[in-house]
Amino acid sequence: MFGMPPPLPNQSMTSVSPAVGQIGAPVAGASKIDPNQIPRPIPGSSVILHETRQGNQANPPPPATSDYIVRDTGNCSPRYMRCTINQIPCTDDLLTTSGMQLALMVQPLAIPHPSEETVQVVDFGESGPVRCSRCKGYINPFMKFIDQGRRFICNFCGFTDETPREYHCNLGPDGRRRDADERPELCRGTVEFVASREYMVRDPMPAVYFFLIDVSMNAIQIGATAAACGAINQVIADLPEGPRTMVGIATFDSTIHFYNLKRALQQPLMLVVPDVQDVYTPLQTDVVVQLSECRQHLELLLESIPTMFLENRTAESAFGAATKAAFMAMKGTGGRLLVFQSVLPSIGIGALSAREAEGRTHLSAGEKEAHKLLQSADETLKAMAIEFAEYQVCVDVFITTQTYVDIASIAVIPRTTGGQVYYYYPFSAVSDPAKLYNDLRWNVTRPQGFEAVMRVRCSQGIQVLEYDGNFCKRMPTDVDLPGIDCDKTIMVTLKHDDKLKDGSECAFQCALLYTTVNGQRRIRVTTLSLPCTSILSNLFRSADLDTQFACFLKQAASEIPSRPLLLVKDRMTNLCINILLSYRKFCATVTSSGQLILPEALKLLPLYTLALIKSKGLRTDGRIDERSFWINYLSSISTPLAIPFVHPRMVAIHDLNSKEGDQSLIPPVISLSTEHVNDGGIYLLENGEDCLIYIGNSVDSDILRQLFCISSVDEIPAQFVLQQYDNPLSKKLNDLVNEIRRQRCSYLRLKLCKKGDPSGMLFFSYMIEDKSSSGLSYVEFLVHVHRQIQLKMSS
Amino acid sequence: MSEMANTDPEGIDGVRMSWNVWPRTKVEASKCVIPLAASISPIRPHPDIPTLPYAPLRCKTCASVLNPYARVDFAAKIWICPFCYQRNHFPPHYSMISDTNLPGELYAQYTTVQYTLPLSPHNPNPNPNFNDPSMAPPPPVFVFVLDTCMIEEEMGYVKSALRRAIGLLPENALVGFVSFGTQVQVHELGFSDMSKVYVFRGSKDVTKDQILEQLGLGSSGGVSARRSVGAIGAAAYQKGGIPNGFPGSGVTRFLLPASDCEYTLNALLDELQTDQWPVPPGTRASRCTGVALSVAAGLLGACSTGTGARIIALVGGPCTEGPGTIVSKDQSEPVRSHKDLDKDAAPYFKKAVKFYENLANQLVSQGHVLDLFASALDQVGVAEMKVAVEKTGGLVVLAESFGHSVFKDSFKRVFEEGEQSLGLCFNGTLEINCSKDIKIQGIIGPCTSLEKKGPAVADTTIGEGGTTAWKLCGLDKSTCLTVFFDLSSSDRSNTPGTVNPQLYLQFLTSYQNPEGQLMLRVTTISRTWIDSAVSSEELVQGFDQETAAVVMARLTSLKMEIEEGFDATRWLDRSLIRLCSKFGDYRKDDPASFQLNPSFSLFPQFMFNLRRSQFVQVFNNSPDETAYFRMLLNRENIANAAVMIQPSLISYSFNSLPAPALLDVASIAADRILLLDSYFSVVIFHGMQIAQWRNAGYHNQPEHMAFAQLLQAPGDDAQMITRERFPVPRLVVCDQHGSQARFLLAKLNPSATYNNAHEMAAGSDVIFTDDVSLQVFFEHLQRLAVQS
Repeated sequence: MFGMPPPLPNQSMTSVSPAVGQIGAPVAGASKIDPNQIPRPIPGSSVILHETRQGNQANPPPPATSDYIVRDTGNCSPRYMRCTINQIPCTDDLLTTSGMQLALMVQPLAIPHPSEETVQVVDFGESGPVRCSRCKGYINPFMKFIDQGRRFICNFCGFTDETPREYHCNLGPDGRRRDADERPELCRGTVEFVASREYMVRDPMPAVYFFLIDVSMNAIQIGATAAACGAINQVIADLPEGPRTMVGIATFDSTIHFYNLKRALQQPLMLVVPDVQDVYTPLQTDVVVQLSECRQHLELLLESIPTMFLENRTAESAFGAATKAAFMAMKGTGGRLLVFQSVLPSIGIGALSAREAEGRTHLSAGEKEAHKLLQSADETLKAMAIEFAEYQVCVDVFITTQTYVDIASIAVIPRTTGGQVYYYYPFSAVSDPAKLYNDLRWNVTRPQGFEAVMRVRCSQGIQVLEYDGNFCKRMPTDVDLPGIDCDKTIMVTLKHDDKLKDGSECAFQCALLYTTVNGQRRIRVTTLSLPCTSILSNLFRSADLDTQFACFLKQAASEIPSRPLLLVKDRMTNLCINILLSYRKFCATVTSSGQLILPEALKLLPLYTLALIKSKGLRTDGRIDERSFWINYLSSISTPLAIPFVHPRMVAIHDLNSKEGDQSLIPPVISLSTEHVNDGGIYLLENGEDCLIYIGNSVDSDILRQLFCISSVDEIPAQFVLQQYDNPLSKKLNDLVNEIRRQRCSYLRLKLCKKGDPSGMLFFSYMIEDKSSSGLSYVEFLVHVHRQIQLKMSS
Repeated sequence: MSEMANTDPEGIDGVRMSWNVWPRTKVEASKCVIPLAASISPIRPHPDIPTLPYAPLRCKTCASVLNPYARVDFAAKIWICPFCYQRNHFPPHYSMISDTNLPGELYAQYTTVQYTLPLSPHNPNPNPNFNDPSMAPPPPVFVFVLDTCMIEEEMGYVKSALRRAIGLLPENALVGFVSFGTQVQVHELGFSDMSKVYVFRGSKDVTKDQILEQLGLGSSGGVSARRSVGAIGAAAYQKGGIPNGFPGSGVTRFLLPASDCEYTLNALLDELQTDQWPVPPGTRASRCTGVALSVAAGLLGACSTGTGARIIALVGGPCTEGPGTIVSKDQSEPVRSHKDLDKDAAPYFKKAVKFYENLANQLVSQGHVLDLFASALDQVGVAEMKVAVEKTGGLVVLAESFGHSVFKDSFKRVFEEGEQSLGLCFNGTLEINCSKDIKIQGIIGPCTSLEKKGPAVADTTIGEGGTTAWKLCGLDKSTCLTVFFDLSSSDRSNTPGTVNPQLYLQFLTSYQNPEGQLMLRVTTISRTWIDSAVSSEELVQGFDQETAAVVMARLTSLKMEIEEGFDATRWLDRSLIRLCSKFGDYRKDDPASFQLNPSFSLFPQFMFNLRRSQFVQVFNNSPDETAYFRMLLNRENIANAAVMIQPSLISYSFNSLPAPALLDVASIAADRILLLDSYFSVVIFHGMQIAQWRNAGYHNQPEHMAFAQLLQAPGDDAQMITRERFPVPRLVVCDQHGSQARFLLAKLNPSATYNNAHEMAAGSDVIFTDDVSLQVFFEHLQRLAVQS
């Protein structure tokens, strides 16, 4: 017996109204469903205390989106690694029957809850951490010491190793080492080892930050350059102090402008690299200098760049060449390259064409290849990205634009180098600088590592099928991460290569070798050991919805660019149906066939699937860049942020005052349905990236004044900056937004919406439970799913 | 020597000829051995040359300019061209002409006159408003190209030289600045927000179009310049209302009036560092001289045509990066020597020369000059770059260090105005008209053939030939060219009497003077034809031995460069023997009877010294030095060139005035001071006794005033020589038996060697050499000349 106590059968499943969806009466069936009875997420408001193992059994983790505090009692915290199913099917057949995915979501540097114990650092000295001599798995609480502690059996490959003499310890009566509780690596699911010399091919790299700013005409005119310079100037103060921090800066239009920031000079020296077909770095040294040496020059420079280029009439932008040149300047050390780009790269290496325009005509012509626009158009950029990764340069691209920039092509670079894309569209010089600054600040201050390599090991019988995320893969077993931070998540899909023994445990270990910002080389080892089962219902019982759905999302995101949209939609719907069908078929046979039976753990799967189908990425009405961004955003998204991204959270904010006394800053969540949106209300809807505030047509003008300092809906500004006014309601809204920002680790792009306006349409496009041009209503979708199941059951 | 020094043998015309009387036929001419050649100094100033403020009259058939040799029919208002006998009517504004009212160009003594011309005569679309006062002449442009691969100390020297130069530039002169090392940096001086440079990679050959495009000066011209960032600077600058010759051109971002950018340039020099790219041990610095010069030339390509511009390259070492490379970076591989060149073992040489040839062609087509200031202990590639300097008429100075006076003082003189000014002019064109039957083979000297064909073009070519017009992108007061003539092979003696006994040559030099004014200098000279088969006496009288010696030196140098396996010594010997056989007085096979006419008497000694000189004995020098010596040999006047071949020696002693001494080891005496001027170096040589007295400090004692004066005198004279000369010669002060004494000994006739040392008087000296002495040389010559 492992983990979860068997719940009562009627608790393990959700059945929707007995009258649902009788064959042959679809319309009638639909009407008979009580919309209030169908499954909806009910966020728990209290903090959950979670021990990862209890009684030597893995404890299934709380939902990823919930508020919880972990005590690491042998398994790693679910923040670092969680599995789609908390029991591992013994056979491949069993897994296939269930229709579920078997995958791990790994977020190795995730930020712990403030109340959680920090990851302990273990130093084995020159010899380095104890490892299995065959599979190189790291020592962990599940390695079994035998023979008076002289030998140990690897929980991955089963090999019996000699215990190193200096690591020897006698076993206690319980068969555990007597020192097991004192040694973190023997009692904690996550530990960090100090890497010895053998883990270094060179000295740990310094913290290098290179800023590359688009100063082409468009960037200047929309205020993007000024915003970028302002943000960088503020962020300089947040960069790690000390001699190991190096910075560099360059600007570009049709040429690339480097700056020599050496203190000896009276003023910065601008070095123009005009050859954008065949770039080079203009100086061997002095382009990247110690922050402490150039702080003044840097500030002066950042202040003068926007004015210096004020009259710039160069419309061309040599993004690829500039990126390459900057890379060359930091090639010797590696580091973070932060690019601020505002227009379509039009000149030099990796120049792109405005293919969106042709794409639109294709689309209207019913072109089947429309999804190709979501693929990278340029092989040069791909090759560059791989070279960057090889030299440990991690690229983040901040796209501040009002036009098409071909994110699909640009994103190859951040995705391959462990970076990410930030997207500000349409860029507003009024409302976006604050977010740009906060994004940049978080980018450089969040917990992170450089020049990392990651590998996941599994117990015999399971092996890694594929890694999925923002990294470069040069060896089949490892992923290279020039940069890795607390937000980045890697999906690791698994497959059986053998049968597992029922009753045994299957372990997964993620090892991340990286350099800290302070220049220490570390190996973070995260181990999760889960029970194996040959019972199908156990799988459904222990399914982890958040992880499963994150897996769905990432798969959808990676499929969109390579196949027609209809196929992707069908596949996503079928994934959902197949799981439910399997459950219906093998675990709920006693119930009447007229009922739609949902496994308790996965009862929200239909709703989320519907949300996914209606999301930006799977619709064709959106802009190509927006869809590309959506796809890229998902590629590294963490489990807790995955569901909200397609199924946003909506709360009412006009009545924040009335909830006096409630401790929670977040008011109750409202279902995403128009019927809950009143003309007299103001609603805030957020998905972790965007935050829309919908203002009904007949909102009390007093509330408007308190919140936004406007007197009527007509005065709603197109570009909104949240401000705090001197009244409790405004304070509450600010508190609310700040709390969401904290939860999501994201500043949010705020936008005000009103009815009868494109902004209003945008807001309503998130009303997933409504029937709309992009899909069925929630009820209709349930009926559809039920009918499909019935069809398959009867066939 | 003294009889040459005290007159002005070149006169108002600045022309000296090897033969002042010409044989009638090609056959006779070839018997004269020494070619028919004229050394011309096209813009040598002379107080008697009149400047005429109007345009010249040209013959309507042959385009030669009206001159004193034209026959004028005052009544008919007609002049007959002496070259083609075309009758030309005077234009209306000459209507007042009479035998008592002559225009300047017809005065018999004004064989050389100068015309001032309106601007841009070569412009295909001449601006009809050239009289518009706003159309000031375009200011001269100076682009400094500075090597930064050098040690701090050298960098300091060159920076201070540059600072001084910038201070001396005319206020309106436009200045550009390019620095280079591993890469090329073009400084955008007009960018006001901060220092800004365009960086070009040193390893990549870039075309002129690419350079213009990448500097934002592309073919779309002002448009792209205005579109690009730097235009801010230029716009601001133009707003300032400073007139410039390049309306709407972005090149003003890079070229600023000296008065505007002096501060910027000085600040820039303060901050300019030596090349920061690492140099691994055992390797040479990575230096891309070739690309740097290409980029500078490309930048100047954006200037409008007719702008006088010079690239002033300051180079501190060999090019090792990119096109124009002369040696690999590996220090174990030495820079090519003459031996390597001879054995074809210089792998970079031909490619580099080809590269600099292309650069030369580009510069010539733009009308711009390359000046080369090379200062390094090792070679820098002057041999390869020679073509570009020479074809554009640039200056060249080779020194050991930027701190050495050879560089420092020479560099300063380039920018000095007034008496000492070099009188640097731009955009020169030389045209030569000559009488029928005279053909031009070509020119040796700083110019480029314009490939202008005509009946006067000879079949054979010497130097820059195949033309009757040459481009002189840069020329100055002392520029000298050697023109080689040939005679048409047709036999004219069939029609005696109908032929004019006079031959005429006309040299037309148009150029822009330092003030930007367009000038045309017209020199017309006349010489006599002589039927040498009948009388060689007149021919002999017309021989100019000094000019002939220089012409032979120049021709020998050229042949050594272009003719494979050319044996210079042998060729010179044979020529001399043939000459002596033809013009000497002797009885056949009786050497003792041999005598030479005074017109030829100095020539054998010139040849003796030429054979021993650095021009022929190249293996004692590096190819860079040889190239340097030859460039100066070709561009200096006859007197100076003669000194290069046969140095002058002056002796200072107590009991006599300073007097010329024999260029012979016998002139050395313990109580004498010798002053040797070999052009490239000036040596003050103290006899042993003098040195001892000096070391004892006698010259500081009042009772030995005379000694102090004696010690002082050669120094003063050396100063005089140094002041006149460009490049400034190296001054060597040495003592008898000192190591530096070799500078003197190498030039002296080894009449006393260790073979006959016992014959010498005390206090004299011997030279340790196996070279033959002048006496031995003479004996051989006599013997061979009289052989039947």
